[in-house]
Amino acid sequence: MINRFSSAALLLLGLTGCASDPAPTEQLRLTEQALAQARAVGADEHVAELVMAEAKLLQAQSAMQRDAFKEARVLAEQAELDARLAEARVLTQKSQDQLNELNNRINRLRKQLGAL
Amino acid sequence: MNARVQRLGGALLTLLLSGCAGSQQQSSSEALEAARSSFQAVKENSDVLRSAPKDVIRAGESLARADRLSSYWGSADDVSHYAYLSQRYSEIAGQNSALSLNQERAAKLEMERQRLQLALREAKLLSVQEQSNWLEEQIISLATSETERGLVMTLGDVLFDAGQANLKASANRTVLKLVQFLQLNPRRVVRIEGYSDSRGDKLENLELSRARAQTVADVLIDLGIDSKRIEVQGHGESFPVAENASAMGRAQNRRVEIVFSDEQGRLGLAR
Repeated sequence: MINRFSSAALLLLGLTGCASDPAPTEQLRLTEQALAQARAVGADEHVAELVMAEAKLLQAQSAMQRDAFKEARVLAEQAELDARLAEARVLTQKSQDQLNELNNRINRLRKQLGAL
Repeated sequence: MNARVQRLGGALLTLLLSGCAGSQQQSSSEALEAARSSFQAVKENSDVLRSAPKDVIRAGESLARADRLSSYWGSADDVSHYAYLSQRYSEIAGQNSALSLNQERAAKLEMERQRLQLALREAKLLSVQEQSNWLEEQIISLATSETERGLVMTLGDVLFDAGQANLKASANRTVLKLVQFLQLNPRRVVRIEGYSDSRGDKLENLELSRARAQTVADVLIDLGIDSKRIEVQGHGESFPVAENASAMGRAQNRRVEIVFSDEQGRLGLAR
């Protein structure tokens, strides 16, 4: 948090912010975790946000290798939220499917009860 | 972009900044506006606030940061970034809220389903008790035989509406027996196979045979058998048990067979 503020301040002062950004190793770890979590609940290439998250993580990793730490952090932060949104979408869709199935069953039961 | 800027002289810096920041400024203020309206929407939605307060707070924090940065010259990239994060948090909050609403609704529906299931079971028992004996005799097309495919129960054509997939009320007795059997043998699974005679369109026969098998499966599921224990197949005109030349033979061929697994849940291979 403090790092982000100070780097933003530095950036505004002299646009030297880029060089003084620390390596966002922890953020990359968080992003990888979020991606793993999204995949674990069943997000795949059909979920647009997961595809975005994966692409941004790759870009972030290559920015890390170039020591472009600010770029890496920005990409990794976005990728983390992309992945979390992908996960939330998949879970919501699953709960929707479950609701539909329950409604189907209830309708079938009602119909059968009505027929008796 | 920042790295490039650093390499340039001081005089050029201001020029370059105002030059390249112009279009970025525009796209960042668009992103900011989009994030603002997304945040507004989730903030005013009491369901979202109740079920995903943390994400709403984070959306607000990121938005505030983007707002603050937008008053500085040359910070367009950062504004876009925090606007993006804010937008994402709002979307995540929306999804999480939809999820918990669905879950609440599912819990209620599940209770309703169980209530109806019980009512249906009782109603079916009652209707079985009311059935007169001679009718029972007539519908005992219920036959179980030990074949090379394992234990097979045959539901005859008379249990279905003619040419339809609906089960008649007279099938209740058979169905309840099946349910009872499966409840007493919780490891056994079944494959429900539909068959037709050879009259009419081949494809329609296949579909009807499959639909009839599915109807039997649905009833079992409705009466509390786990759907994971049930496989459904339609075979259409294949595998007749009698010749299709006579009406009686055709009636025998129109059937649903229920193949039981052994006690370990191992089913014979599908045909």
